[in-house]
Amino acid sequence: MTTDASIEQTAARIQWGRLLRTSGTLIGFLAIIVFFTINIPNTFLTVANWLNISQQVSMLAVIAFTMTIVMVMGDFDLSVGSMASLAGIIAALLFRDSQPVIVGVLVALGVGLLGGLFNGVLVSYVGIMPFVATLGTLTMFSGLAFLLSGGETIFGRDIPADFSGFARGGIPVGMVGERTLLFPNLTLIALIVLAVVWALLEQTTFGRRLYAIGGNAEAALLGGVRVRLLRLIAFMLTGFGAALGGLMYASRVASANPTQGAGLMLDAIAAVFLGMTMSEEGEPHVLGTLIGVLILGVLDNGLTQMRVDSYVREILIGAIIVAAVTSSSLAKRGR
Amino acid sequence: MSATPLLSVRHAEKHFGGTPALVDAALDLLPGEVHALMGENGAGKSTLIKILAGVVNPDRAEIALSGQAVSIPNPQTAFDLGLRFIHQELAVVPQLSVAENLFLSHAYPRRAGFLVDWRRLNQSAKTVLDQLGIAHIDPRTRMARVGTGDQMLVKIASAFVTGDRQTPAVYIMDEPTAALTSEEVTRLFGVIRELKLQGCAVLYVSHRLEEIFQIADRVTVMRDGCVVGSALINETSSEKLIRQMTGRELSQTFPARETPLDSHIVLAVRNLATEYVCEVGFDLRAGEILGLAGLAGAGCTELLRALVGADPLRHGEIRLDGETRADLTPVSAWERGFAYVPEERRSQGLILSRSIRDNITLPHLQKISRGGILLDRRSEEQLSSVVGASVRLKAIGPRQTVRELSGGNQQKVMFARAMSRTPRLLLLDEPTRGVDVGAKFDIYTLIRQVSAQSVGVVLASSDLAELLGLCDRILILREGRQTAIVAASGLSQHELLTLCYGDGDRDD
Amino acid sequence: MRRLAVIAIVLCIVSIGFGTVAAQDAPSVAVITPYLAQPGTQFLVEGFEAAAEDKGWNVNVIDTAGDVAAVISRIEDMVNQGVDALVINVDPAQVEAGLQIAADASIPVFGMDAGSNPLLVTNVTSNGYAMAAETASYVVDRIGCAGRVVMFVFDPYPPVQKRGIIADAIFANCPDIEVIDRITPDVNDGGIADSRAQMEAVLAANPNTGSISAVWAAWDQPALGALQAIEAAGRENEGIVIVGIDANPQALDAIAAGGNFEASVAQDFSGIGAATASAVERVLAGETITQSVIYVPTVLVTNANVGDFLDN
Repeated sequence: MTTDASIEQTAARIQWGRLLRTSGTLIGFLAIIVFFTINIPNTFLTVANWLNISQQVSMLAVIAFTMTIVMVMGDFDLSVGSMASLAGIIAALLFRDSQPVIVGVLVALGVGLLGGLFNGVLVSYVGIMPFVATLGTLTMFSGLAFLLSGGETIFGRDIPADFSGFARGGIPVGMVGERTLLFPNLTLIALIVLAVVWALLEQTTFGRRLYAIGGNAEAALLGGVRVRLLRLIAFMLTGFGAALGGLMYASRVASANPTQGAGLMLDAIAAVFLGMTMSEEGEPHVLGTLIGVLILGVLDNGLTQMRVDSYVREILIGAIIVAAVTSSSLAKRGR
Repeated sequence: MSATPLLSVRHAEKHFGGTPALVDAALDLLPGEVHALMGENGAGKSTLIKILAGVVNPDRAEIALSGQAVSIPNPQTAFDLGLRFIHQELAVVPQLSVAENLFLSHAYPRRAGFLVDWRRLNQSAKTVLDQLGIAHIDPRTRMARVGTGDQMLVKIASAFVTGDRQTPAVYIMDEPTAALTSEEVTRLFGVIRELKLQGCAVLYVSHRLEEIFQIADRVTVMRDGCVVGSALINETSSEKLIRQMTGRELSQTFPARETPLDSHIVLAVRNLATEYVCEVGFDLRAGEILGLAGLAGAGCTELLRALVGADPLRHGEIRLDGETRADLTPVSAWERGFAYVPEERRSQGLILSRSIRDNITLPHLQKISRGGILLDRRSEEQLSSVVGASVRLKAIGPRQTVRELSGGNQQKVMFARAMSRTPRLLLLDEPTRGVDVGAKFDIYTLIRQVSAQSVGVVLASSDLAELLGLCDRILILREGRQTAIVAASGLSQHELLTLCYGDGDRDD
Repeated sequence: MRRLAVIAIVLCIVSIGFGTVAAQDAPSVAVITPYLAQPGTQFLVEGFEAAAEDKGWNVNVIDTAGDVAAVISRIEDMVNQGVDALVINVDPAQVEAGLQIAADASIPVFGMDAGSNPLLVTNVTSNGYAMAAETASYVVDRIGCAGRVVMFVFDPYPPVQKRGIIADAIFANCPDIEVIDRITPDVNDGGIADSRAQMEAVLAANPNTGSISAVWAAWDQPALGALQAIEAAGRENEGIVIVGIDANPQALDAIAAGGNFEASVAQDFSGIGAATASAVERVLAGETITQSVIYVPTVLVTNANVGDFLDN
């Protein structure tokens, strides 16, 4: 590869331009934190509050992290929300049937893998567009959740304390006044999923090939990538993540309801999109998704503490997503 | 030559960031003149054309049409001023008819104020097609059912549609023949000569020297953003133009074979058939370069796709080093040592959004990673640097995004990928399409080097000179069927073309 | 890039307008519900807000749009903010994680038509047993403790299930009352359509005049479905008595029309809201509330008093 002085200058320029174009969302995120720190002086920038936030976003985070895997290939999985509900219902029904917690959890996670397998077969072997295929399975999983639960919420004595206690527990990390500060179990799970997905996407041949499929599926195929098989596996991982997120949700609310995961799908996609604005080529990266999830969580937390009306809060969050994507696409157009 | 130029450009300058793309460029197009514009990729041709098209705003430029100063802030102004652009990329709407595509940027003729007058539309389309000598295309056919070459001709014809406006005066053609067969090129040249007679001016951008000498009256050469020379065509020569473009002497265009052919048979193909090709059979010896020749749609690309396992076999046999490969897929093909450079590097070859490194190592990840699972970026970058240097790739480093490279360098990335681990068999589909002269020579040298390492090479090309200059034998395909295999030495372009048409009942 | 930062700041400055209107020393109370979009919840919250305004409180109403886990998150946020009291309108069993955090921070949480839970100071609600007793006893009195009755129940949902068992007990107390069918309708279509279909089947099986005396429904939708079936069968003049519970607007119209739909029970939602506010006031004043539930009376709505409810 030949290199000369002018090329090095170009390189430096490209690096700077890249930094400016891709750091907008991060700057916005920091601005939001600074703003809340000023306006909520006593409680916002505290360890306790940030542990709260981390726990509040943990379910969304797990689903968004694993959603990133299919979005790397340029695909979507719209069924994650109903898969989350279904996983919660299946675990709760097994608990009601006096099965041990571990059995309920493992079966629910297995159902997540199976659902993902089904999505993957539809998308990569039958060849249905992901949007349509997972829109279909969204309805199927949701219907299955209603059918199995009879439409009712499973709660109370049916949910073992071991299961619901998990979401309330954590690792003691210190004391605030007389209260023990816990590093929440749910946050720990989200961090583990983050580490696994990051390693998978950024450090393995699997991830490299997924990005190749996302960049140009035809070229990846002709370049010796097993496109179909990898797509199938990616959808299975997303299904698994959806089920895990659903179980975390069920643990947190100590109950299972056939609709409780429905809101997670759009938030997860929004978080991935926010993260994509931080990459030069508009590729999803799981660390970008993390920032996206945190933006959503911090806005919810901070605006609630500032007593902003719930509906105004929704408008603000939507506006910030649109602003981030707009500014990043304008910056990219201007190059 | 004292006539007022139809189009004149002076002091055109453009910088992208800090890099100059165009430095004090000047150009005159006289009425009735075909003016060739040449230069390697990145020489500034595209920037100049984009300024004329109103797509790029110059830092400075004095543009005059028939002596009147104009500015071209946007594409609509360029269109209104009578400038017509013909690009190599096809931009057709496959669902619409030929006539609808022709009139896409014009108002369709109306009936009763709002109904489209289909009869009149089709008639106008027929008139335009007739004028251009491409009357064999029915204006009512859906574009999707028209062949690729004919689609290009329709696209070119659409630039000749005047609608209600005055006759356009200046045509700017950017590599218009890149996807055309010789026959279609001949038709296009007929059209260009017709335009000359009408007093129009044509700015003709091409990498193909022989075309330039066939059609152009004057040629301007650019290098590194500057105009380095402008001369009447009969006052220059290929050698001189190449020297101007590359800044170096090229003693010969095609490097000669220096090593003898091996007797070992690398690839044996017997009675191969897919959905698109049939009756194909040949033996390829180690170090041999086998050419694939045929008219557009004859099946050269499809045969290569079959060899790499991208299209399923109906029957037949592919043997690599004597071993039958029954269930060949692109994955197993790469694993067995097939290396494939597809025809469309942007849509089929490269992951534009990823780095040079990622593109080069993609088919070799299994071997170059730790246990086939964990990425080993250091080894990948070492390999990319080494093979990048061996193909004379010009880039900032292995982490540069492929999108940022010029066309010739992108093609070199494809070659670097194919040669990362010395292949047993190299399958090349139009490896020099859209590549400038300097890079072309690099690629020819590379192909020779690879073949010298006892690698079998199959090369499909629509550039007959390239086939004759490089190949040992040439396999002729016609309508998906293998019709002949001939030795390349002693064959003339005319004879080769006659073989492609078959029966010898057509003339060049 | 910088644009986003600017936009974020502008939006947040706008939000200050919403955030800082209230006085700082007045007691602050947060009301958190996932169900604000439902009419009953709106009356509850309006009743609470009206009472709180009289008391000069700083009230923050938070709707999580159906997301129960978000209720826990918002409880955490408000505890973190140090509010004086929390009011929830959601099943407390589902948000126990949040209730525990409030309890640890010694912030009192009140249920407003929520459900009983040891972590709540108290739950202010209507008496579900009493509502069922009102309509069941109305049926018994109207048909003279004798006749054939059709019941519409929904046992999977506990608050409705307990209405059914009360009606069972009251009808069992009359030896001459026979419950000829105890139907659980499919509620996915809102409860009316399937109830109507089921009632049509019952009517077909009991074709004779007088073979059905009354329809007792655990909530209004099946009662309305039964009414439609009876009218469609042309049997509206057989004196079949229909009763429902909840007094929803459609039911009120039917009662006002003077047909077979004779009675329903109205919960006093804004009264529950106001009663919750006074419970909060008592605790803030240092008083201890020992009752874990506070009932707000309900009203039997019949043709005689339906006018009072239609005006509202």
